[in-house]
Amino acid sequence: MKTRREILQGMIVSIGGSSLLAACEGVARITPSPNDSPQFYNPRELALVTKISDLIIPRTDTPGATDVNVSGFLDSLMTEWANADTQQSHHRAIGVIGDQLGWTFLELDRRSAEGELTSLDALAYTERPREYSAYRSLKGLITQAYFASEAGKLLEQEWVAVPGRWDPSVEI
Amino acid sequence: MTDFDAIVVGSGMSGGWSAKELCERGLKVLVLERGPEIKPDRDYVDQLPPWEEKNLDRISQDEIDKHYFKQYPGVAYAVKESNKHFWVKDDDHPYETVEGTEYDWLRGYHTAGRSIMWSRQSYRMGPQDFTANKEEGVAVDWPVRYDAIKPWYDYVEEFAGIAGNRDGLEQLPDGVYQPGFELTDAEKFFKAKIESAFPGRNVIQARVAHLTDPTDEQRKLGRTNCQARNRCHFGCAFKAYFSSLHATLPAAERTGNMTLLHNAIVQSLEYDPESNRLTGVRIVDAETNEHRFYSSRLVFLNASAIASAMILLQSKSRAFPNGLGNSSDQVGRNLMDHISGAGANGIISGFERQKVFGRRPGGIYIPRYANITENDKPYTRGFGYQGSASPVGNAGGQMAGIGRAFKEAHKNPGPWRISIGAFGEQLPNPNNRVTLHPNRTDKWNNPIALFNVNYGENEHTMLQEANKDAAAMLEAAGCTDINSNSVSLTVPGNRIHEMGSARMGNDPNDSVLNKWCQSHDVPNLFVTDGSFMTSAACQNPSISYMAFTARACDYAMKLMQENII
Repeated sequence: MKTRREILQGMIVSIGGSSLLAACEGVARITPSPNDSPQFYNPRELALVTKISDLIIPRTDTPGATDVNVSGFLDSLMTEWANADTQQSHHRAIGVIGDQLGWTFLELDRRSAEGELTSLDALAYTERPREYSAYRSLKGLITQAYFASEAGKLLEQEWVAVPGRWDPSVEI
Repeated sequence: MTDFDAIVVGSGMSGGWSAKELCERGLKVLVLERGPEIKPDRDYVDQLPPWEEKNLDRISQDEIDKHYFKQYPGVAYAVKESNKHFWVKDDDHPYETVEGTEYDWLRGYHTAGRSIMWSRQSYRMGPQDFTANKEEGVAVDWPVRYDAIKPWYDYVEEFAGIAGNRDGLEQLPDGVYQPGFELTDAEKFFKAKIESAFPGRNVIQARVAHLTDPTDEQRKLGRTNCQARNRCHFGCAFKAYFSSLHATLPAAERTGNMTLLHNAIVQSLEYDPESNRLTGVRIVDAETNEHRFYSSRLVFLNASAIASAMILLQSKSRAFPNGLGNSSDQVGRNLMDHISGAGANGIISGFERQKVFGRRPGGIYIPRYANITENDKPYTRGFGYQGSASPVGNAGGQMAGIGRAFKEAHKNPGPWRISIGAFGEQLPNPNNRVTLHPNRTDKWNNPIALFNVNYGENEHTMLQEANKDAAAMLEAAGCTDINSNSVSLTVPGNRIHEMGSARMGNDPNDSVLNKWCQSHDVPNLFVTDGSFMTSAACQNPSISYMAFTARACDYAMKLMQENII
């Protein structure tokens, strides 16, 4: 009996996703070549985005946000896609999130950081969504970036490049 | 002796058909395409996996401001970083609107035109669409009835390949179809509820120009089944959806009779008053600025409703001081599009344990019922709805929670949402027009387009009612969390169904073309893009352009054989 991972690996190889195998070893990068040396984020911003993205989408039996370099991807996105207004607004948003969490968040161990972010997330999605719109926006970008990665698309969403047919009703 | 038997201006949806039909009848045909060549191996990006897309496939914001300031806002769902070369750069191809008006002129200049970017919905016009003007005293009567065009719909559908169901509706006649894309269970449930609660309204499968059971002829052209990838806006390596590039132009090419010339911008049609015939076409080369003339016995204009009208308006002579074939003063007038911006969506419960496999090209269609099966409306004509029901799935990260549970929640299809949006008919109005800008030209020294289009009371009223109807139908189907925002009428041109600028009619005094899409004024001129449409109906129009083009080509050939032209 093959393990889930072996089955997935077979499937991935069959559709030419060889780099995903590397992703499973934790050396993944979202292509094409996001910035390895950040050009947009300063070190403190990068640390915050990296830590938040890793807590929102951790490594499980599939790669997590850090494994696929979500923060590097967002750095590229802000450098290459965003205009000056969007860049400024994103810098401000990261500042707001850092202030809301408290910048000591960066020093917290994983369990404590998880607790802090869980509290903030709850406020953002229930009690005070407007006040936490910067966080919601960042969370959206992190999620989009992760699920645009090879690992997110193939392993998590089981995306198939060429379905070859339409089945309107598949029982889960 | 002319350079060619026929010249076809434009290689898109209808131009491809003109090329095919005339070449197959033995004419030597020159096809003039104003844009560069599209080579699928080089230019299609349909096989690019999502993780290789740059920046989530978003065009940079600065680039949008510089090059795509009309195209991107107009059609953001289809204009991406990877396929932006399918769309014109607005700074290279400017146009203007009269103060206080707006117009979206959304275009692709290249081989096959917009037939490689279209949304592929393919519905016949019905008998009522050809009689409405006459019955209501609106504009002029169509010189054609449904029965005259029916065999030509059959003909083009067989060749193009349309997937759909035969639903037996008089107002939306059945055609020649390959198997359709089956409705989801939620859509079947919705269909049953609507058809029971609103007798006379129907929910049917979308009819789309995708192969699901290719004919031998389609296979010979290298076309194969739709793979349910939903990558159509990026091209299709499987050649599964109809485009000029993979269907009509190759069919023309294989006759050995076609010459396809790129970067050839038509500036005018040359007219000889003595013979009352066109003698040929003047072009400017988009890359070299070289001016050339090609002679022919016959000209088919297929440049799009706006560009064809502009070519006629630019072709001034002593005999036609207001533009060629424009003795009626109707060229450029009656510009129509379809209207959207009304609809509703809501959660449809009971299907949470289901998901779908594959990504089909179309969902559901609710054919027009207003003023057909229901005659209590405060407006004339009507609309159809396009829509679908599908799992909500990944909501772009906008759900509470972090960590493993949040990550894995994205595997769940979640609740199902049904969404329907109206496509309504715009009435013809001679004041809605495109003209040549009086003093501004493009970089080839051609006048740019100046639009002056406004919606009338009927359009506004219709969409308000379409919004209410949509919400009422979702309520009747038991949907919850229904969103039916206030109507936001689309900008004219935004549905990319521009038409009507050289309408057909019986009387040369008030129409440009006769029932064969032939100029009343100049017998060897045919216009078979959306220009000929005497009214807009509410169906997506491409399949009608194809049918009228094939019919016009057949007629033109008869005239040539009889030496009339």
